[in-house]
Amino acid sequence: MEQLALSVKELNKYFHEPQTFHVLKDISFEIKKGEFLALTGKSGSGKSTLLYILSTMDTAYEGTLTINGSKLTGKAQNELAAFRNEHIGFVFQFHYLLPEFSALDNVMLPALKLGKKPVEEIREKALENLKLLGIENQAMKPANKLSGGQQQLVAIARALINEPTIIMGDEPTGNLDSKNTRIVFDIFRELAKERGQTIIAVTHDDDFASNCDRILELMDGKLIHQ
Amino acid sequence: MIVSKTNYKIANAHLTSRLKQTLVAILSVTFGISMYIFMNSFMTGVNDTQTGLAFSTLAHIRIYNDIPKDNTNLFKNKVDDETLVKVRNPKIIQYTEGIKNSEKILNMLDTIPEISGITPQLNINVFFRNGATKVNGMLSGIDVVHEDQLFGTAQYVIEGNWIDLDRRSDGILLGSGLAKKLSLRLNDNVIVTTEEGITKNYKVIGIVETTLASVDNTRAYIRIGFARQLISKNIGYVTDIQINVKDYNNTAALSEQIRQMTPYKVEPWQEANGQLEAANKLRNIIAIAVSLTILIVAGFGIYNIMNMTVNEKIREIAILKAMGFDGKDIIQIFLTQSIIIGILGGIAGIVFGYLVSVVVNHIPFKIASLETLPITYRSSDYVMAFVFGLITTFIAGYLPAKKASQVDPVEIIRG
Ligand SMILES: Nc1ncnc2c1ncn2[C@@H]1O[C@H](COP(=O)(O)OP(=O)(O)OP(=O)(O)O)[C@@H](O)[C@H]1O
Ligand SMILES: [Mg+2]
Repeated sequence: MEQLALSVKELNKYFHEPQTFHVLKDISFEIKKGEFLALTGKSGSGKSTLLYILSTMDTAYEGTLTINGSKLTGKAQNELAAFRNEHIGFVFQFHYLLPEFSALDNVMLPALKLGKKPVEEIREKALENLKLLGIENQAMKPANKLSGGQQQLVAIARALINEPTIIMGDEPTGNLDSKNTRIVFDIFRELAKERGQTIIAVTHDDDFASNCDRILELMDGKLIHQ
Repeated sequence: MIVSKTNYKIANAHLTSRLKQTLVAILSVTFGISMYIFMNSFMTGVNDTQTGLAFSTLAHIRIYNDIPKDNTNLFKNKVDDETLVKVRNPKIIQYTEGIKNSEKILNMLDTIPEISGITPQLNINVFFRNGATKVNGMLSGIDVVHEDQLFGTAQYVIEGNWIDLDRRSDGILLGSGLAKKLSLRLNDNVIVTTEEGITKNYKVIGIVETTLASVDNTRAYIRIGFARQLISKNIGYVTDIQINVKDYNNTAALSEQIRQMTPYKVEPWQEANGQLEAANKLRNIIAIAVSLTILIVAGFGIYNIMNMTVNEKIREIAILKAMGFDGKDIIQIFLTQSIIIGILGGIAGIVFGYLVSVVVNHIPFKIASLETLPITYRSSDYVMAFVFGLITTFIAGYLPAKKASQVDPVEIIRG
C-alpha cells in the first residue's frame, strides 16, 4: 500500500458572519504521497476555504485532518506553525511577499526559520530555486519592485525551499503567462515524480487540471468528483 | 530572551523601512530619559546646596547636656509604682552644665569608623559691646583645626585669617552681620561680657560670612582654651561635641550606638532640623513624579507608534505565520523593535540629559552662596533613567507585539 500524504474525514466548515453559512459539507478524501492533484470548482465553491484548512492555518472546522500520519486536528497554534514550516509549502491566491526584503531573502526565510541548514547552503538552494523558475536575475531586487508574475514565481520558489511534504497552491499560476505556467507545471510534475512531494493546486485552468494525476472538484461546498 | 537572527533581521527591516517613525519613537525616549536625568540632577543639586549650606554650621550629630525632656514625672524609674510621690511647685535645677571630661567621650568617638570628624565646642551667650552699641550673641570657643575640618569655616572668612585664632590669645573672629551692627572692622577692639558679668577685651582678627543670617548676625569665634579661661572652667569642659559622619543620611543607627556610651543627649541633624529633611524629601518626590510622568508619556508615544507599525504590517505578520513563524517569533520581532528604540533613545537620552544639565549648571544664579544653578552629577541617576526608560519601552512595546502575535493569518490572507 502506498503511503498517505493527507487525509480528511467528514470535514464541515461554517461561517457565522454575516449569517451562518455552511461552506464545506461532509468532505472526505485521501491523497497519496507523490500525487499531483488539481482542486477545481466555480468561484465561491469553497476551494480556498478548504485549502486554508488543509494548510493548518484555519483551525475552526469540524472533522479530522491528518498529514503525513500525524493528526493535526486539535493541536496548539504554535505546534501547527512549526509543522507548517517544515512540512507545508504554500502559494497564496494573491502573491504575498515581504516587501522590505529582496526576492532571495523572501525565498530563504522559511528555511532560516527552520534553521536546519547553514545559511550559505540555504542561500545556494534559494538561488537554485529562483533559477529553476527563471528569475535568478531578480534575486537581489526588493520584492515590491517585482512584477505580479515575478512575485508569484518568487512565492513558488519560497514554497519549495524546505522541500515540504506537501505543496499547496491557491491558483499558483493565476498571474502567469502560458510559458511560465508551463514551467511551473513542469516543476510540480518533476517534484511529484522525482522527490515524491505531494502537490495540491487550485486552478481554473482546465488544461492545467487535465494534466494532473487527479482532479478534486467542489460544487457549493460538496466534493462532487475525486 | 534570545532573539533568533532571522527575527532580528525582520525587526531591523521594519525599523529601517520606516525611518521617520522610528526616529520619532527614538526621540520620544530620548526626551523622556534626558528629562529624567536633568530633573533628578537638578533636584539633587538643589538638595546638596541646601544641606551643604546647612552643614556649614550644623553638624550631623550633636552631643550636649540636656535638661530632662519630661519634667512632669521626675521620679519615673526612681521609685516603684506603689510609692506615692507628691512634689509641689517643682523646679529644674541643672547641677551639671555642659560636658565635663570631654576627653573620655572624644577618645571613645575616635574608635568609631563611620565618624569622619569630631570637634568640641564651648558656646557661651554673651553681650558684644563697642562703645554704646550692645549686641546679644553667641561666643563659640572652638578647636581651630577640627572646626574647619567639620564645617569648612575657614573658607567663609572674608577678611583676616582663620588660622590666626591659634596665634593670638586675644583674637576674635566676628560674623559679618555682627561686625556691621557693632560698626567694627579688622583690628578694632570689641568688649565681651558674659552672663556672669565677666568682661574681656578682644581684637577683631577676622570677619566670617556664611550667608546664613542666623550665624552671621550673632556668632563670634575664639579658641576653645581661651573660652574656658573666660568662664573659668577646667580643661575638658565643653558644651557641645559636634560629629560628622561619612554618610549624613545615615545618622539614626550611629546616634543610637553613641547613646549607649554617654549619658548626654545625642541629637542627629534630622531631629533638630526636620524642615531640612522634609524639604529634601519633597523635592525628591517632585523630581521623581515629574520625571516618571515624562517617561510614561514617552511610553505612550512608543505604544502608539508600535501599534501603527503592527497595523501597517498586518499582512506581513499573516505571511510570516503562514510560513510557520509562531506567536513567540512575532512577539520577538516587534519587541525587538521597541527595545532597539529604547536602547538607542536611552543612549541619546543619557548624552542629551548630560548636555542639558551642563548648560543649566552654567546659568548664572547669584543668590546666597550660589553662582550658577546647582546640578549634582550622579551616575545612579543615569543608570536609573536608562533602566526606567527600558522598562517603559518594554511595556509599551509588549502590548502591540502581543496583539500582533494574535493575528489570524487566514482572516488577513483571505482578503
Ligand atoms: N470570512 C468569510 N466569512 C463569510 N463567508 C465567507 C468568508 N470567506 C469566504 N466566504 C464565503 O465562502 C464561500 C467560499 O469562499 P472561497 O474563498 O473558499 O471560494 P473559492 O472557491 O476560493 O473562490 P475563488 O475561485 O473565487 O477563489 C464563498 O461563498 C464566500 O462568500
Ligand atoms: Mg479562492
